[in-house]
Amino acid sequence: MFEAYAPSKIDVNGGSWKTFILTSPTDVSVSIPYLTTDAKYLKEIDSLKSVVIPKLTTAQKEAVKFWGAGSVLRWNEIGRELAARYNLAPASNAAGVYPVPDPANPLADPKYPFANPLYTARALAYLSIAQYDALVSAWKYKYQYNRKAPYEVDASIKPLLPVSSVPSYPSEDALVAQASYVILLAMFPGEGPFLREKLTEAKNACIWSAINVGSDVDAGAALGAGVAAKVMARAKTDGMSAANNQVLVPGMIERSKALGFVNPWMSQESPARPPMLPNYGSVSTLNFDRKTLESIRPAIPFLEISAEFKKELAELQEIQKNQTREQAAIANFWADGPGSYTPPGHWHRYACEAGAAAKYSELRMARLLAYVGSALMDAGIACWETKYYYYSPRPQQFGLKTSVGLPNFPSYTSGHSTFSYAAATVLSSFFPEKSASFYDKAQEASDSRVYGLIHFRIDCLMGGKHGRVIGDFAVKRANADGAD
Amino acid sequence: MGQQSLAQMPHDGIYMSKKIACGALIYGNSSWTEYWENQLFRENENIGRLTTESVNAMMAYGITKKLNVIAVVPYVRTNASKGNLLGQKGFQDASIWIKAKGYSSHGLTLHGVVGASMPMSNYVPDFMPMAIGLGSKALVARGILTYDLPKNFYLNSSIAYQMRSRVEADRDAYLSGDKLLYTREVAVPDAFDAAIRFGYLKKDNQLEVFAEHFSCVGGDHIRRNDMPFMTNDMTMTSVGVYGKYQPKLLGINGRVSYVVDGQNVGQSLSVSVGLLYIIKL
Repeated sequence: MFEAYAPSKIDVNGGSWKTFILTSPTDVSVSIPYLTTDAKYLKEIDSLKSVVIPKLTTAQKEAVKFWGAGSVLRWNEIGRELAARYNLAPASNAAGVYPVPDPANPLADPKYPFANPLYTARALAYLSIAQYDALVSAWKYKYQYNRKAPYEVDASIKPLLPVSSVPSYPSEDALVAQASYVILLAMFPGEGPFLREKLTEAKNACIWSAINVGSDVDAGAALGAGVAAKVMARAKTDGMSAANNQVLVPGMIERSKALGFVNPWMSQESPARPPMLPNYGSVSTLNFDRKTLESIRPAIPFLEISAEFKKELAELQEIQKNQTREQAAIANFWADGPGSYTPPGHWHRYACEAGAAAKYSELRMARLLAYVGSALMDAGIACWETKYYYYSPRPQQFGLKTSVGLPNFPSYTSGHSTFSYAAATVLSSFFPEKSASFYDKAQEASDSRVYGLIHFRIDCLMGGKHGRVIGDFAVKRANADGAD
Repeated sequence: MGQQSLAQMPHDGIYMSKKIACGALIYGNSSWTEYWENQLFRENENIGRLTTESVNAMMAYGITKKLNVIAVVPYVRTNASKGNLLGQKGFQDASIWIKAKGYSSHGLTLHGVVGASMPMSNYVPDFMPMAIGLGSKALVARGILTYDLPKNFYLNSSIAYQMRSRVEADRDAYLSGDKLLYTREVAVPDAFDAAIRFGYLKKDNQLEVFAEHFSCVGGDHIRRNDMPFMTNDMTMTSVGVYGKYQPKLLGINGRVSYVVDGQNVGQSLSVSVGLLYIIKL
């Protein structure tokens, strides 16, 4: 579906754009490359001409085509695929207990991680941020060192992919590959062999395509690894390790009752499953601070005794009785449940498709995904803070079934609505001409949770509004990063 | 989960005479509490007992006494006794079959059957195990070998191959094995089945015991603690009893079968009873 293209913009000044985690684009140093007249370089050119190119196999050419469609895009796809493969809730054991996935033993049952929407949003956010920060840094060095590409140095070399005038050292494709490898291996520690295979192929493809020589690739990989390590240092201290702190739950239920909820949320699974990541709301946000997070928390939803609540319950009862095929289709399309890349994955996919359609460079693609990804991660955090602040009941606690499967956490607000509106807001700012289509999708994703009978209307309405506000913080940041 | 009832498949060696039709209305009830998640045999407290009920309107007609056409229209309803999953209902896959008697010698008779089925309604296929069917169109070719034993006893063996079409799912990406595919088109694996039957047939009255094996050709497995999906490689071996009593124009039939082993399917106990009526045209 995706094919290689020459980027629509080069962004010579990309090295001066504001990064997410790096304090400066030269936080990780890259050594001065040898000149293209140097014997060592000429040896690399010679190897390319006399060894690599004449012996290219069909499989190698296929790999060049695959990775040529975009390194950021392909690694985002790999991240989504891993998310889908790991998106399964642990089964209860013989004692009726749900074992917690163990990062030290990732391939045991249950596998680590359980890549639920929150885990996936966070993994893809750090993936995109590492790619973006590394690419900004690479751009800085590229135009500092200005090393030509092998096919510019020697006109007899014919690259297998469309080219741009961006300097060749350090290789942006090797950089993205190495940075992505570091992040994804940290997020999916059982996938070492799979990820190493992808990394090796991606780096080799840089040379098979004659876009880079070995020293471009090595420098790119080293820079990618260095930047990704800094991003992982942030990830390791962002509070995720305490996100499943179940000790906080009794206090949350008490607060819910004090707020007026007669029937706070209860797991509808058998045996009762502990709520998903009750303390995920404490994870550090990316685009705004804690005080802001609390100030934008949606107001309390309708309580059980209110007429509005009864009206919304009646809406769901009516859908259960007469669900149309179209409603079922919308509910299923957006379900993004177990075994899927989750709603954040769905929106990363749309972002990649939009970026590729606009012929974004690797740098521009990573920038887009970093803002969409950070908005999605923030949406997850803020939505979870809201969910566990109110601890409100699901429609299933009032006798409803579901046509999509019931998530195991409080109802208000809808995660799908928050994620979708946050992403649509960022995407609309990057692609104003497609704004209506992104918001239509977001609204459909939001409605889907009512059609699937697992959210009250107010959960979706307020989640969507919350998502827009969260998306706006990412947009504000993007507008100030120097790219436009 | 693989609850397509093989009972409705025209697999016997019995023919309607020329210009004679037999109409049938069959009620089926198939249910399981345990299933094979890949190879792991388990129950699921969030499903309890999964019951699939069906009403099949069926018509068999003799074009000649060696060439019959059979049509089946099923209405299906599912229900889980526990948990939150919403039961589904609707017209499932209508099928039409042509059965022909071929070479016959020394009590051995060869029969050939071809059939086609397709969904009659736009039901949701990717909500298993609640879905009423897989949503695919199918073409089936079956060979049957019958052997007449003394005193009205018989042996019947059959083997069939089912080609199944891709299905347009509601979702636009799905996992096939470890690979995430970005498409709505879900590849439902082809399947084959084989059976052996031993029975007694006198006039229109029949009693038979049978063993059947159904298996997909390829496909993936249910992941740990996941729900089944249309791409699954479903396998099951079942045993059962079938009987028919038709003293005159009006008759009844009944069938019981039980899955003794399987993979990616429920351990179903299936019971059906039917009312039959012979019509001369």
